Amino acid sequence: MIAVELHHLAKSYGHKQILRDVNLSVESGEFTVVFGLPASGKSVLVRLLTGLETPDQGSVLLRGADVTRLSAGERNIGYVPQSFALYPHFTVRQNIAYPLDLARVPKAEIEPEVQRVAGLLGIQELLDRKPDQLSGGQKQRVAIARGLIKRTDIYVLDDPLVGLDFKLRERLIDDLKRTQEMLKVTFVYTTSDAVESLMLASQIAVLDAGEIIESGAPEALYANPQRTQTMHHVAFPQANLVSGVLRQQSGVQLIETPAFRTGFVSEQPGQPGGEVQIGIRPEHIRIGQPPGVGWLTHNAKVLLREDLGGEEIVYLDVAGIVLTTVVRSDDQTQQHVEIDQAVEIGVQPHHMIVFQAGRRIGVCKGAE
Amino acid sequence: MQQSRARTTLYYLLLWLVAILFFLPVFWILLASFKTPNDILAVPPKLFFQPTVDNIISMLTRPNTIPYFVNSLFLSITSVSLAIVVSFLAAYALSRYKFRATNFLMFLILSTRMVPAAAFVVPIFQMYNAFQWRNQFGVLMLYTMFSIPFSLWILKGFIDGVSQRYDETGFVNGASRLHVMFRVVLPQVRPGLIAAFIFNLIFVWNEFLLNFILGGPGTQMIPYALAVGLVNAGGNVDWAFVASLSTGYVLLPTIMIFLFQKYLLVGMTFGTVRGEV
Repeated sequence: MIAVELHHLAKSYGHKQILRDVNLSVESGEFTVVFGLPASGKSVLVRLLTGLETPDQGSVLLRGADVTRLSAGERNIGYVPQSFALYPHFTVRQNIAYPLDLARVPKAEIEPEVQRVAGLLGIQELLDRKPDQLSGGQKQRVAIARGLIKRTDIYVLDDPLVGLDFKLRERLIDDLKRTQEMLKVTFVYTTSDAVESLMLASQIAVLDAGEIIESGAPEALYANPQRTQTMHHVAFPQANLVSGVLRQQSGVQLIETPAFRTGFVSEQPGQPGGEVQIGIRPEHIRIGQPPGVGWLTHNAKVLLREDLGGEEIVYLDVAGIVLTTVVRSDDQTQQHVEIDQAVEIGVQPHHMIVFQAGRRIGVCKGAE
Repeated sequence: MQQSRARTTLYYLLLWLVAILFFLPVFWILLASFKTPNDILAVPPKLFFQPTVDNIISMLTRPNTIPYFVNSLFLSITSVSLAIVVSFLAAYALSRYKFRATNFLMFLILSTRMVPAAAFVVPIFQMYNAFQWRNQFGVLMLYTMFSIPFSLWILKGFIDGVSQRYDETGFVNGASRLHVMFRVVLPQVRPGLIAAFIFNLIFVWNEFLLNFILGGPGTQMIPYALAVGLVNAGGNVDWAFVASLSTGYVLLPTIMIFLFQKYLLVGMTFGTVRGEV
């Protein structure tokens, strides 16, 4: 069953068009992450979905029924707003119980429910506190608990982990994933964080320039992105994008960049002579002698290293282009480098995905 | 270290001196209300004297004194309470529905308070006469109207500070607009309500000119009583009466300010400086 469907949603504020044509379909029980850069319109999408605003065009379907004209309260959605929005004049218990209170659930039934979701999120001992006595992570848990206590099957979480510190986010990501799987409910979750998207989602929908440009399972999107934005942003560290030109030479198509010259396997008809962008994931760039044949190689200079402990992000200058690469610290086969060191880098051509006008048209193929 | 300590002491000494200087007239009135008429006018002023409550008893037993107090209390508390209800509703609307010219409208509303009372007391008087509003209801409405601009500004500032995410969380969970206004937003702007209440209460409590011109038996307040009771039958200033009435008069605002002084700053800055509240 399809839990959430958005059809051709459009929304403008004044002359500014935020959403142009949003189409999204979420299967029941799915954890869908709407990924979008800041100001891409995620929050507007959430507002249209929850019913806080009505779209200029298009329709919202929940559980198969058109709810476009229904008010927020009639849509029966569990909601975790951005920036907590915990009522400061309520205790944690009252905050969590709020959706049930509003639904006029008998008091005797509320308390066990509060205990249940509080247990789920490990906040039982905080129930009698006021929100201003909580840390950021605790507040977030309370906000999530308040969203989850509602007896429904669709929950919307608007960038709930934004602004939390790294460790806490990681724990909450685990909690959220576990909770969603346990309750077997539908989550629609927005974020601008690639790691969150990849870790949480069973489906990622990439929102860019007012449209869902691509959606699919995280593994599929990561391995075979169809759009430049997806390749570039839904990854950590971000994928490298190198500009180049697609040439037609004696019947053979070639890709030329300042660093590489390579063959091209076309998947979609590209425009010869046109500008292309080549996406290369950092982990596919190797420093040192290539271990096999068919690698594209080039000289590079190390610009900067960021040591993350287990791995290192290395910034390289390759023929005037800055490329990033990731080196695992325990990888003995990779050469370890110092700043300003001259090195050789290699990349396998089939890892280089070619985009034209934002869409994937093929991959590279060995040196020509 | 030693020097800086001496400096601080000197600093506080100066502050205290200035404060005492300003407090002296109030102190004089307070003492005078417990002095006999002869002691009041004694030169040099008597610091130590046989206290008496005769002044206060005679002030309270004058036929109109108690009604003046009742009028003052009734008019100020009722009008300010009404004004706060109206202002809260208006402030919520102006804060949440951002229609065009909201700022200009806010300015217009406040502009009614930029003119001194003396400038519009004549037209108001004419109007009140024509409509026969010179009764308790009319004066009550006037004070309510006069308390709205500042209350609105203070409360708008506070409600703007309450994130709309709170409202929306309510809506998504099925709350009505009224529920959100009174159960979600109202409790969060309580300091603003108190600030607006104190600020305007003091204004209405101290209002004299409009009360004097428009007032009648049911609406005359303590400032009016002070003005008309200033001179006794013999043509002299009735210091005993003035002192004892003034003492009773400043009691309410003094207690209020003492209890809620932190909210006064909020009031004077329209909620933009919140301090500790």
